[in-house]
Amino acid sequence: MVAEERKGKQAVCELLGPGSLSERITEGCNSEWYLRVSEPEFLPLVTSLAARECALIGLFCTEHFSSGAPFSILYVFEKKGVLLVVVLDTAQSAPSIARLLPSACWPERECRDGFGIAFEGSFDERRLLLHETYPDDYHPLKKSVGNVSPVMKSSVGPSQEYPLRVVQGDGVYQIPVGPVHAGIIEPGHFRFSVIGEKIFNLEVRMFYKHRGIEKLAEGKPADEVVCIAEMVSGDESVANTVAFCNAVEKIAGTHIPERAWALRTILMELERIGSHLGDQAGMLVDVAFPLGASQFAVIREEVFRMNALLTGSRFLRGMVMPGGLSRDIRIEDLEALGLFVRQVRKRYRTGLKIVLSTASVIDRFSPTGVIRRSILRPLNITGPTARASGGIGDVRVDHPYGLYSRHLPSVRMLHDGDALARFTVRASEILDSLDLIERLLTSLPEGPVRIAYDAKDGYALSLVESARGQSLCWVWIRNGVIERYKIRTASYCNWLAIEHAVQGEIVPDFPLINKSLNLSYAGTDL
Amino acid sequence: MVNVLSCLLKRKVTADVPARDEEIEALGREIRREVDAVFGGSLAIRELDTGSDNAAEIEINNLSNPYYDVERFGITFVASPRHADVLLVTGAVTHNMAAAAKKTYDAMPSPKFVVAVGDDACTGGIFVGSYAVLGGAEKIVPVDLKIPGNPPSPREIMAGLLALMKKAGNTR
Repeated sequence: MVAEERKGKQAVCELLGPGSLSERITEGCNSEWYLRVSEPEFLPLVTSLAARECALIGLFCTEHFSSGAPFSILYVFEKKGVLLVVVLDTAQSAPSIARLLPSACWPERECRDGFGIAFEGSFDERRLLLHETYPDDYHPLKKSVGNVSPVMKSSVGPSQEYPLRVVQGDGVYQIPVGPVHAGIIEPGHFRFSVIGEKIFNLEVRMFYKHRGIEKLAEGKPADEVVCIAEMVSGDESVANTVAFCNAVEKIAGTHIPERAWALRTILMELERIGSHLGDQAGMLVDVAFPLGASQFAVIREEVFRMNALLTGSRFLRGMVMPGGLSRDIRIEDLEALGLFVRQVRKRYRTGLKIVLSTASVIDRFSPTGVIRRSILRPLNITGPTARASGGIGDVRVDHPYGLYSRHLPSVRMLHDGDALARFTVRASEILDSLDLIERLLTSLPEGPVRIAYDAKDGYALSLVESARGQSLCWVWIRNGVIERYKIRTASYCNWLAIEHAVQGEIVPDFPLINKSLNLSYAGTDL
Repeated sequence: MVNVLSCLLKRKVTADVPARDEEIEALGREIRREVDAVFGGSLAIRELDTGSDNAAEIEINNLSNPYYDVERFGITFVASPRHADVLLVTGAVTHNMAAAAKKTYDAMPSPKFVVAVGDDACTGGIFVGSYAVLGGAEKIVPVDLKIPGNPPSPREIMAGLLALMKKAGNTR
């Protein structure tokens, strides 16, 4: 343990380079490292971290975190195995780093909306979370602003409408899509600038579903926030709840029983299988191959039914909670799961073979919606999307939580970066998850699934690999209740990849590309 | 590698999908009767998400998987509110969606019905009191039927639609 700690510290010091900064780092509850910097130190540090190929994976603001300043902005940097949180205290403003690290762009706008922080030198000053009808100078995440609906603007003039990027030129026309889409999909607005049939530019506008989840959690004890974490994104219920509970448990210094982690892992992998299957079925619907789509949709429905058998919820809700699980799973249900896994693997392989040997499917999937490797780090693209484009990141491997250090998944990586690569990476991951569930079932430890924990005050950063990729949450408990619950799901980052993936593609391929990225609107909008 | 020639020449097959659920079949037959009797053979549904957590959308989408395949029973999901008899609303209504949601409802021809699907659409659920949320669907549109659940299962949604049609038939 001590050796590990020293190794972690050494890695952070190497990132920081020679100088006095490395002497000031402090370790957090979950092996993350904190470094408070003054404003003159900030930009040189960020520049050097960017040069050392660190990804900015989180950026958020919180109030009263430091004694000297009303606001603190936390910048989470990651490089394989190392997590560094740079804390910058400020009264009102901070330098914008979005030009240096593009993954800062949305979060900076979010801090401006939520807390009224001004980012000097920022190239995008538009509101993000709060759309036009919200009053001016309204910053809901400030503690001084109560959690009540503000007086909304009754009408919005044309000059106050959200200015989207306009591409002009001979033959360029715009296609506005959404927020209400033609299919059964969540709301968001897509503005295509198109030449002929080719997409020249796409801008996505999100946050139609902004429900104020982070503020909702504030002032509540951790146990009551579990149902909020489950509502972040329906098909990531387990992942987001595990991330939250892991943070709470790390703050309390509680080690939950081995059996609880084993069952949590089974639930997380079941969730991954369900999500990937739904995505694959959707991609096949979008290329008009119902034979394959139906086969995957049937398996997915059976996964949902298995979920209901195991936990009473088709979305595995109500199980994960701080201290472990709310209840154990019956032995006969676990046996049924074992049988199910074996049977599903066989059927899934058959379906996969049919799909991958169908020329019309391959023709549509490849090379469609290519995401280049070069945008992965700048935008912090993660999950199967990144792994299909030559990325090797996987939280389960880079920052193992629970039992993953003993059951390291193999990182399935491809280089093509197109829809076919994303489909194939997911296929491998489904088979890996089935294997992992089977392994866990055969070596399931006995014992309780829950341990009493004493909620302690403190803060921790927690990362999990949801089906969509790296999901981050930062929990700060003060006086026994949640002071700040920052959530950043994988979709939040991956949404920006779509703007790059569609360039030069034809409009009819957009639904396929969108599906192949499997993005959650709810998980982004919060 | 895929052999293109064999793809072209081999016999095209369809496969049996081993999915049949007698309970759903019975529910479906009843739905079919009501669709024929009350809605002239087809019930057109437009789904509207006003701020859900996407679980309800997933369950509504599941209505089209081979286990349920509600199109067999006369229920279709349409792309435009102008073609719809029923608006299925999911999620609490956020401020950012309020205007678009109202426009969607207004675009539907009368007579029209609104069904709230899931706890947050029914009452606002856990989001009641949030600065970003107006409340349940009834804050912006008149709601004819509520299907509670977190989220309701496809079977519960089917049962809800059946109840709606019976209600519509009785008040005709």
